Amino acid sequence: MKRVLLVTLVLGAALTVALPGAFARTEATQATPGITSKSIKIGGTFPYSGPVSSYSPIPEGMKTYFRFINARKGPDGKRGIYGRKIDFKTYDDGYNPAQTVQLTNKLVLEDKVFAVVGTLGTEPNIAIRPFLNQRKVPQVLVSTGASYWGTQYKQFPWTSGWQTDYIAEGRMYARWILANAARQKIAIFYQNDDYGKDYLNGIKQGLGSRTNLIVSELSYEVTDTSYASQIARQRATSADTWILVTTAGTQTVRALATAKRLGWKPDQIIINSVAATDGVMAAAVASVGQDYVNGAVSTGYLKNNTNPKYAKDPAIRSYRRIMSKYAPPGGVNIRNSFYYYGVAKAYDFVRLMYAAGKNPTRASLMAATTRMNWVNPYALKGVRIKTSKTDRFPIDQGRVVQYTNGSWTEISALYKGR
Amino acid sequence: MRRYLNRALGPALFVVAAVVVALLPRFMGEFRLLEFTLVAIYVIALLGLNILTGYSGQISLGHGAFVGVGAYVAALLSLGRPGLELYMLDPPSWIPIGNGMTPVFTIPIAALVTGVIGFLIGIPALRLGGVSLALATLALAVSFPILMKRFSEVTGGGGGLNLNLPETPFGWDISTRHWLYYEAWVTAGILFLAAWLLVRGRIGRAWRAIRDGEVAATSSGVNPALYKTFAFGVSSAYAGAAGALFAIETAYVNPDTFPVSLSILLLASAVIGGLGSLAGALFGALLFEFLPIYSQEPPIFSFHFADQAPSVVFGVFLIVIMLLLPGGVAGLFRTLAGAVRTGRFRRRSDTSELA
Amino acid sequence: MAVPARAQRFELSIGPLLRGVLLGVGSIVGALAALVLIYRTTDVLNFAQGEMATFTTFIAWSLMHHMSYWPAFALTLVIAFVGGAAIERIIIRPVEHRPEIVIVIVTIGLLIALNGLSGWIWNPEVKAFDDPFPNGTTEIAGVVISYQELGVLGVCLATVVLLWAFFRFTTLGLVMRAVANSQDASRLLGVRVGWMLALGWGLAAVLGAVAGMMAAPSQFLDPNLMLVILIYSFAAAVLGGIDSPIGAVVGGLILGVLINILGTYVDFIGGELRLPAALVVLLIVLLIRPQGLFGHRVVRRV
Repeated sequence: MKRVLLVTLVLGAALTVALPGAFARTEATQATPGITSKSIKIGGTFPYSGPVSSYSPIPEGMKTYFRFINARKGPDGKRGIYGRKIDFKTYDDGYNPAQTVQLTNKLVLEDKVFAVVGTLGTEPNIAIRPFLNQRKVPQVLVSTGASYWGTQYKQFPWTSGWQTDYIAEGRMYARWILANAARQKIAIFYQNDDYGKDYLNGIKQGLGSRTNLIVSELSYEVTDTSYASQIARQRATSADTWILVTTAGTQTVRALATAKRLGWKPDQIIINSVAATDGVMAAAVASVGQDYVNGAVSTGYLKNNTNPKYAKDPAIRSYRRIMSKYAPPGGVNIRNSFYYYGVAKAYDFVRLMYAAGKNPTRASLMAATTRMNWVNPYALKGVRIKTSKTDRFPIDQGRVVQYTNGSWTEISALYKGR
Repeated sequence: MRRYLNRALGPALFVVAAVVVALLPRFMGEFRLLEFTLVAIYVIALLGLNILTGYSGQISLGHGAFVGVGAYVAALLSLGRPGLELYMLDPPSWIPIGNGMTPVFTIPIAALVTGVIGFLIGIPALRLGGVSLALATLALAVSFPILMKRFSEVTGGGGGLNLNLPETPFGWDISTRHWLYYEAWVTAGILFLAAWLLVRGRIGRAWRAIRDGEVAATSSGVNPALYKTFAFGVSSAYAGAAGALFAIETAYVNPDTFPVSLSILLLASAVIGGLGSLAGALFGALLFEFLPIYSQEPPIFSFHFADQAPSVVFGVFLIVIMLLLPGGVAGLFRTLAGAVRTGRFRRRSDTSELA
Repeated sequence: MAVPARAQRFELSIGPLLRGVLLGVGSIVGALAALVLIYRTTDVLNFAQGEMATFTTFIAWSLMHHMSYWPAFALTLVIAFVGGAAIERIIIRPVEHRPEIVIVIVTIGLLIALNGLSGWIWNPEVKAFDDPFPNGTTEIAGVVISYQELGVLGVCLATVVLLWAFFRFTTLGLVMRAVANSQDASRLLGVRVGWMLALGWGLAAVLGAVAGMMAAPSQFLDPNLMLVILIYSFAAAVLGGIDSPIGAVVGGLILGVLINILGTYVDFIGGELRLPAALVVLLIVLLIRPQGLFGHRVVRRV
């Protein structure tokens, strides 16, 4: 009798695990997954936790913009997009590609999203790319600047990028250096991985025959606790232009602080756009002082939402209005430009969906990504979101911007990175 | 009669579980099947860890590294040199990577390779006990991603390797998802039986003797060195098999996929599931698979939890479980089973009447 | 800003050595001593040591918005002490006599929870941390060292010396050593063992806080501040002998120097494999001398 009891216990345990699965039955397949007459369901994975969790405002920015779209009346008088409200489901993958794969499977198979939008990270996107392409699920506006999304569209027609890629950005720095002081001696301090090497390649491509201007290129590992030996060596080369290819964490600030401590102030400091976030700059100022940081140069393709010059700009005002009205509970720091990035990206998604037509399908969405041609008000003036069947880089322009007292100001003409 | 029934209980439960596993796919959607496939993979990994830490008493904080080794071996073998050429990778010719093989065959090879590596690592690890071993294995876990990044001519470096998307081999007529599910569970079942045989046999007794008192074990004629190293080898072989299945299932490997936290979480899951009990691997695997996903979507609460809340919840959960259930879930079941078997429930209520 | 040639040559040879020393000492020693301290007094390896240090450093960061550096520093030490002792009594005490693996998992759970909590309360964005030492650099043997690095070195060495003195010359220290030696014997002598254990953890937390506040100005503050350092700390502790404070210091020094020299001079290793290479060396040492350089050999008589 007792054994029967025990066996029943075990069986019961097994069933309670299986039962949720029983309820997750496949519904009758809709014509287009994720699209109903009233809603569009999309999804993405982001590193809410883990080493790169500082990017977590990006999906929040996107969601806030979508809330705005769902509430306002569009050009056809309906809320949402042609009357469909956007439901953006996001998961935390902790920047572990294995988790990305599993969670993206969940989005596609269980949540039945229409498209995967804005997933963050180069490796996470590479991990899910074959699966999404096999299932013909759009993988659009990915949040990474690797160049693959634009160069490998023939093998992966369902994948498409968004931002200016790292190689293009590297070219822009090279071009600016050549235009502004062709005698400069360049030292490059970069993160030793594909990301850092992409930038390095871009810079070298942009320099063309003048790569001899580079007097030092030294790397660091993400696990390093001190950059003193590398930076001391770079200082010893008397380079006057210092390019930092780091990420938006402690590394940029550490590099600057180390340089300052070693008594080195290069005439021109260049910080790559990924690292030059407001949070990092603020910490840098707190650590090495405003004077040290002023004059640093980066590139941008979006307006800088903290620059007083843009205070009355309609796009920045709309950003502020949207954030204050539709932000998630708990409040947000709207100065954090990752929210702004999310809003800008969400804007382009909305335009894409309109372009996909009144009865969008996955195929029509991808077709729309080959025909992008508009101005994103959140982007810098002159930057045009443009793609064609052979040019799959929606944004490939930018301007060099310079940091002064808390904000970035454009100091160059519009550069084309590709 | 009673003793016969007692002995038959274990195998009976196994059969019941096997039947449940075989029938589950009828009731589940595709994603749930994927999750349970991963559960099987984690069961295999945790069986290995259980053997090492639970049965032979050697704490390992580096199990994730062995899973990674198995995964990379499987990836390289299934891609083969032609596949690697697409990545512009040309590993040295002395490494025996073939021309690409059907993924299912990579599993035993990965297990073997990882087992040998584990055995070799077990040799120096012998001299370390307790804390030192924990730290040495932690060193393994830390070094693994770094090594994978460094030897990028073979491993694809930070960008990793995409395996071919899984498909049912040999032209068999079942869906890929079902194939993967059964592949994982059949392997898990076989390895579970193997572990069971090992553990209840002479080797298992030697392991337990060493765990409970190495000095006493030695004086009874057990050679601790041999058995401890063997435990390392076996446990890594299991990890390698799990890793191979993992690579086949996920179809992507890169250094970030096997961080230090994987090793730590595997150990935590093994302990919560219950060390010293093979069934504990099943509970631990269920926890490992479902807790991270479902702590992101609490169905009951709808508060706006901060993004970091799941970590805090998980950490607290670990502490609480250890305070309340040091034997893990399996230990709980064993206590319940014991209570049921001896009828202690009934007796307690008897005495309460007297009081 | 040309550097004199002679100094440059020194930079290349003594530089790595000296940098290694700094690396080893600067951040490791404080955390190290704490690890060793806990282990010595309570036989528990506290995986959460680093996270406790980070957490208290965050507290210090908040305090420094309301008061100046040194008062905040002192107050943080007090809070760390109370927190450490509390953790011992509430979380560790119930599992003290359980198998080692259970305690390991508890401290790991603590690590995960504290890491998440730091991010939750203070948000994970990088923060700058105040530096009590003057800016500027000086040259020693041709190597440029900042006052900050020297200051950190000084504080850590002072801490270690104070600790050593505490154990050697005070009654309380003596009692704690007795407890570490044998809890049962101490109990028989009337020592309140429970409080001694809590005291040990409290002190260790204080050391961790010092380490965190010394590391934060140059490493900058975010929840993962001490994670990498923790690994170096563990390695150094095992190298030096997990139950020896002197071992802790020497282990840290050796490890720091080793990592830097290997990285600079052995091409195959380069920057990428420094950490694994150092760990390999550590393993080799352990094989030859499992108790670490200064640890006490546990002799098992059969």
